[in-house]
Amino acid sequence: MPCIRTKCFGEMEYSTDAVYRFPHGLPGFETECDFLFLEQPATHPLMFLQSIATPEVCFILLPVLAADPDYKLSLSEEDLALLHLPPGRQPGIGEDVLCAALVCATSEEPCGPTVNLLAPVVVNLEEQIGIQAIQTQTKYSHRHPLIPRESEQELVSCS
Amino acid sequence: MLVMRRRAGESFLIGEDVEIEVLEVCGTRVKLGIVAPDSVLIQRKEMQITRDQNINAAGSVRQHNISSLLEKVSFQPAGASVKSLTPPSILAKRRT
Repeated sequence: MPCIRTKCFGEMEYSTDAVYRFPHGLPGFETECDFLFLEQPATHPLMFLQSIATPEVCFILLPVLAADPDYKLSLSEEDLALLHLPPGRQPGIGEDVLCAALVCATSEEPCGPTVNLLAPVVVNLEEQIGIQAIQTQTKYSHRHPLIPRESEQELVSCS
Repeated sequence: MLVMRRRAGESFLIGEDVEIEVLEVCGTRVKLGIVAPDSVLIQRKEMQITRDQNINAAGSVRQHNISSLLEKVSFQPAGASVKSLTPPSILAKRRT
């Protein structure tokens, strides 16, 4: 079994069946095309998207429904085709696709940790293909705060 | 910001080499055609925002940030309904 050095969990072996292919990488990381999803009970519901080629490249993901239970996908026809999904119909989150947002976990920012709901990672579970899909309806923020504004008195505007 | 009114079929130039034509206006959407040299990068603004945000997100993956995230954030229960993608064998075989 191949072995990988991960950013957060040390070295581990993995099965090649568990590899998810991102044909275009992610914006800013276009050459990273093969990833593992790592989960641990202690960090639930967070997931870790670990690049196989580069140990340093790892993202924290949060299922979009954990950030916004009413989240709606609006994938473009091009993105549906990239995911090998049928045209003209939005896939069901948690049924046809996994949909998770990248977390910016930094605590120094005025808004605290945020998730990018504008451009979630969407994965065709059947075919193990993923993309980062920029939503066609842009009512979602790329810096959606995870800590509600009212609970943190000192927070300033996030924009 | 320069504001210009154009109709479908009309175009405008940016510098010598870049031409932008309004091809179609339909409801709230505008279809544009862009002619530019190969050296000019053309991208949706959301793409640039996402690239910057991804670089910040990757840089934020630090143990203390993860601990603080789990401590401070109360996640919506809907997140628990997502099925696991990691075969149990992977984490069981962790070496360190």
